[in-house]
Amino acid sequence: MSTQTLLEVRDLSKRFASRESRDAALWVIKDLSFSVPDGEFLTIIGPSGSGKTTLLNMIAQIDTATGGEVRFKSEPPAPISDPKLLNPGLSCRIGYVTQEDNLLPWRTTLQNVLFPLTVQGRLNDETRARAQTLIRTVGLAGFENHYPHELSGGMRKRASLIRTLVYDPPVILMDEPFGALDAQTRAVLQEDLLRLWELGRKTIVFVTHDIAEAIALGDRTLVLSRAPAKVIGEHRISIPRPRDIRGIMSHPDFSALYQRIRAQVQ
Amino acid sequence: MTTQDTALDLAESAHLRWRQYAVLGGRIGLAILFFIVWKIGAERAGPIYVADPVLVFQRIVTDTMSGELVRHVYVTLRLSIIGFAIGCFFGVVLPFVLRRMPRVTAAIEPYIMASVGVPKYALVPLFILWFGIDDAPKLWLIGLLVFYPVFIAVFAGIRNVDRRLVNMARVVGASESRISREVIWNSLLSFFFASLKIALPRAVSAAIIGEFLVGNEGLGYMIEYARQNFDTVGVFAGIVVATVIVLIINAALVRIDRHINAWRPVERDMQL
Repeated sequence: MSTQTLLEVRDLSKRFASRESRDAALWVIKDLSFSVPDGEFLTIIGPSGSGKTTLLNMIAQIDTATGGEVRFKSEPPAPISDPKLLNPGLSCRIGYVTQEDNLLPWRTTLQNVLFPLTVQGRLNDETRARAQTLIRTVGLAGFENHYPHELSGGMRKRASLIRTLVYDPPVILMDEPFGALDAQTRAVLQEDLLRLWELGRKTIVFVTHDIAEAIALGDRTLVLSRAPAKVIGEHRISIPRPRDIRGIMSHPDFSALYQRIRAQVQ
Repeated sequence: MTTQDTALDLAESAHLRWRQYAVLGGRIGLAILFFIVWKIGAERAGPIYVADPVLVFQRIVTDTMSGELVRHVYVTLRLSIIGFAIGCFFGVVLPFVLRRMPRVTAAIEPYIMASVGVPKYALVPLFILWFGIDDAPKLWLIGLLVFYPVFIAVFAGIRNVDRRLVNMARVVGASESRISREVIWNSLLSFFFASLKIALPRAVSAAIIGEFLVGNEGLGYMIEYARQNFDTVGVFAGIVVATVIVLIINAALVRIDRHINAWRPVERDMQL
């Protein structure tokens, strides 16, 4: 694994204007900094309402920041404070798997998965074959021509996951993608995700409020405070890969890590 | 699918089929009842006020044979379609243009909404004054009557588009025009079709009213001419033909809607 920094977040802040007065404006995130080396699976954990989604929205540039910067490789920092200059997805280099699947209801599974390639003008035999492989890998074969409402929650999640993987962005942000699923489906999807990640070793920033999930998936875990969010803890997860998701709790390092993180998450 | 599911499905579909027959039977019964009431009404009120249904249908047949009716229907339909196309075009395009200009939209929105309240039929004398007595004043009337429901529906549809879908499309690299065509257009299609179900019958009505007032051709002219000659059968024949035209247009619309919106999870038809 190379140690070159791929994504750097420095002093990122976000304030929502308060309804009552300007003085009481609410800082959701204040001076938040971290960096992600190329190929790392970073998990970020924080209590609900700690601005995790806002953080990812700012990195993906679908929301403006009040202050601070986000740098990709050694490029100059993106102008993320000006709504007119936002570049959502940083020219297809930052993928974003949101909490909701956000599949287009009028497109079939296959058409949804191909959507990014279609709009990027990159649809050819090779990318089509890649999409088919991904569909098979996550067990959606046979459902290519189903509409999203005909799929189960887990299947929709898989479709939205591979919709981002299919165009191969160097950084992928994930916002509690498995939050709304039952424990069993969740475990299966976590395994799928790790398997896909082992193949490509993309850089992933994965936000969750589930400590066990953060440990099971990540190389490193950051703990965020309550709003205004800051990084208040950093934990390297040394559990070797490939990991056994279902047996992760019985790994000797797990319990100590869990306790340490638990103590920091308020 | 398991065998149990299939069995359930079969029972379900048999039940559904029975219900469909019941509904169909009810519809035919109501149609017969309607004709009986019409016939009795004609006999009670007298031929000057209510025409006998049998005579009305005979008239429709003879006028169709002579080509007279076909000519009038053609004139009215041509006018309705052109006026509809103009009104519909602006009703769709304008909201998409305004979407890119939020400040302009905020400024002119109250004026557009206020202009909805202007009774369009009251403007006809003005249109005649301005645009003469050819097709132009009628096209203005039809165009305006079609424009408003389409504009309001498309405008509301654009406001209702799921922001998260738009953001998703932006992140994966879709251009603004691509987002308009793919995400926004598809999101508001059901709004658009609902507005068409109001706008299309309106276009035909407006054409007929325009013909009452101006010109010497078309279904409206035919009805008004018959009235002036105390030809109640002719008036009723015109009304029946106009109704049939609107019903055919609506049926076609429902089919197109169903085809285009096949992805929709629930059948949500607003049939008029």
